[in-house]
Amino acid sequence: MDSDAAQKTWELENNIQTLPSCDEIFRYDAEQQRQIIDAKPWEKDPHFFKDIKISALALLKMVMHARSGGTLEVMGLMLGKVEDNTMIVMDAFALPVEGTETRVNAQAQAYEYMTAYMEAAKEVGRMEHAVGWYHSHPGYGCWLSGIDVSTQMLNQTYQEPFVAIVVDPVRTVSAGKVCLGAFRTYPKGYKPPNEEPSEYQTIPLNKIEDFGVHCKQYYPLEISYFKSALDRKLLDSLWNKYWVNTLGSSGLLTNTEYTTGQIMDLSEKLEQSENFLGRGTDVNEKRSEDKLSKATRDCSRSTIELIHGLMAQIVKDKLFNKVGLGK
Amino acid sequence: MELMEVDVDMSAKPSTSSSASGSSIPLDTTVNKNPQPQGNIMAAVGTSGSVTISLHPLVIMNISEHWTRFRAQHGEPRQVYGALIGKQKGRNIEIMNSFELKTDVIGDETVINKDYYNKKEQQYKQVFSDLDFIGWYTTGENPTADDIKIQKQIAAINECPIMLQLNPLSRSVDHLPLKLFESLIDLVDGEATMLFVPLTYTLATEEAERIGVDHVARMTSNESGEKSVVAEHLVAQDSAIKMLNTRIKIVLQYIRDVEAGKLRANQEILREAYALCHRLPVMQVPAFQEEFYTQCNDVGLISYLGTLTKGCNDMHHFVNKFNMLYDRQGSSRRMRGLYY
Repeated sequence: MDSDAAQKTWELENNIQTLPSCDEIFRYDAEQQRQIIDAKPWEKDPHFFKDIKISALALLKMVMHARSGGTLEVMGLMLGKVEDNTMIVMDAFALPVEGTETRVNAQAQAYEYMTAYMEAAKEVGRMEHAVGWYHSHPGYGCWLSGIDVSTQMLNQTYQEPFVAIVVDPVRTVSAGKVCLGAFRTYPKGYKPPNEEPSEYQTIPLNKIEDFGVHCKQYYPLEISYFKSALDRKLLDSLWNKYWVNTLGSSGLLTNTEYTTGQIMDLSEKLEQSENFLGRGTDVNEKRSEDKLSKATRDCSRSTIELIHGLMAQIVKDKLFNKVGLGK
Repeated sequence: MELMEVDVDMSAKPSTSSSASGSSIPLDTTVNKNPQPQGNIMAAVGTSGSVTISLHPLVIMNISEHWTRFRAQHGEPRQVYGALIGKQKGRNIEIMNSFELKTDVIGDETVINKDYYNKKEQQYKQVFSDLDFIGWYTTGENPTADDIKIQKQIAAINECPIMLQLNPLSRSVDHLPLKLFESLIDLVDGEATMLFVPLTYTLATEEAERIGVDHVARMTSNESGEKSVVAEHLVAQDSAIKMLNTRIKIVLQYIRDVEAGKLRANQEILREAYALCHRLPVMQVPAFQEEFYTQCNDVGLISYLGTLTKGCNDMHHFVNKFNMLYDRQGSSRRMRGLYY
């Protein structure tokens, strides 16, 4: 049969020693890594790392771990390597620490766990070492708080190369796409040359101060994701079964609480901006956006998310509830 | 938590009853084009599994990564082994996560390193305290006699372990190249032998995981923010609906063929199709209509709020700019109060 022959050749092709080029990234060159680590190119340039590549597996693990924490912050470590200006995250694992609010700090127990875990991982051929840590900010966006900044600074002093990743599982669900940020801090006293305004994001009022004070002390990395040839194939077939969930899920229903929170937050922000307006503004108008514009942006964003949810609902209503009524 | 049937049913159900007599393995018939003689490690056809399994995609990704990594580092693919952890409630097993296992090769035999397992188990208990050891995974096309040996080793940890086998070299795109087995002890030629019994599974997922999988499955290499979010959202919906459409077409085609006498009618399938049709429209009760209406209104209201805020903002900007102009012409600061 033709298909049999085709399969044979395909299998042959796949068994040959050369790797598909997209899998090349999974190879670990200990020598090369040691050289990079010895050379420490990041010491000269505080803005050395510009990109970060995250494997599909690490992404899934982080998102799921963050979601499992509910409203508590969770934390974990990432394993990976470095290549030129890019940090590559291959895998991630959870740490037995649970933080509350913006207070994630690893305890002695966690450090112990960390070393044990990494040793165990080496035994099964996971050669990469720790390149960063991740934690979740359920519901309040991807940025580093004061404590995060000092943790990351400490890490960057003693653990280089190191990166901090923040995942927001609540926004991930509400926006329907992964909400994740990767950051590195500047050394103490360093002034970033020209401050390009980072991408705007909604931050709840009770956190905004924490954000504002520290937001100039770190910079975001450009994030991209990668997957292996096998991952690609599996994901394709996974989608064959997964589409039901895409159709069946409703963003409006799963995130009602978050939506209410957003509106409350918005009303407070509007109130603040009202006071602000009353005082009269003129001089610093151009420099930064005023509170009203910020509130407007937040408002538009949550509205868009909700309308998306509603669109999905209406599509489903048309699809399943109007069938057979015409006749 | 959402559960869904994996579509083994359509093709596999009729075949187990009618056409599988030739092969000794009651496996997923679509993958099984050329069954190889297996020795006797598979239980007799028709033995049904005792548990239902739901599987999280994370596990699949984990195995895939393990295999790829091993291949990348050693230059050639090899069978990899790992442990599955999850929750068991009565006869329902949910496989949530997995981790690699260390194996030693002694003579020809692969032996699972127990010390390593114990160490890892302790670690996992610290993070995921509610997950238990469920079984193990490996790669390959069909279970072999060696796998039975491993299964016996694993059985020392958990009395009835589940075995998951992923075939990384499978070519089929329509079906996940995944098989799940449990084992039973049966008398073969007067000897107690361990045999594999195939299990069916469902995919389990929760919202965040779905989005994660969606994201990596259809990730575009450049995350340019310029693309319309609306389009992105609608494309996801559209591809799901397309998928639904193709599935419906298959069912329709089948029924047409049966009607035309080209195919023999399978009552089970017809009954299911009929049941599906009977459920349409899905929701027509007034209570639902009312709720749906409320929901629409809620979103409408929020949009209204958004538009109002936006209007306010624009107005504010306008007034500001107007003031600026007016200022140039030498108005006093006090005058400006008028415009607010």
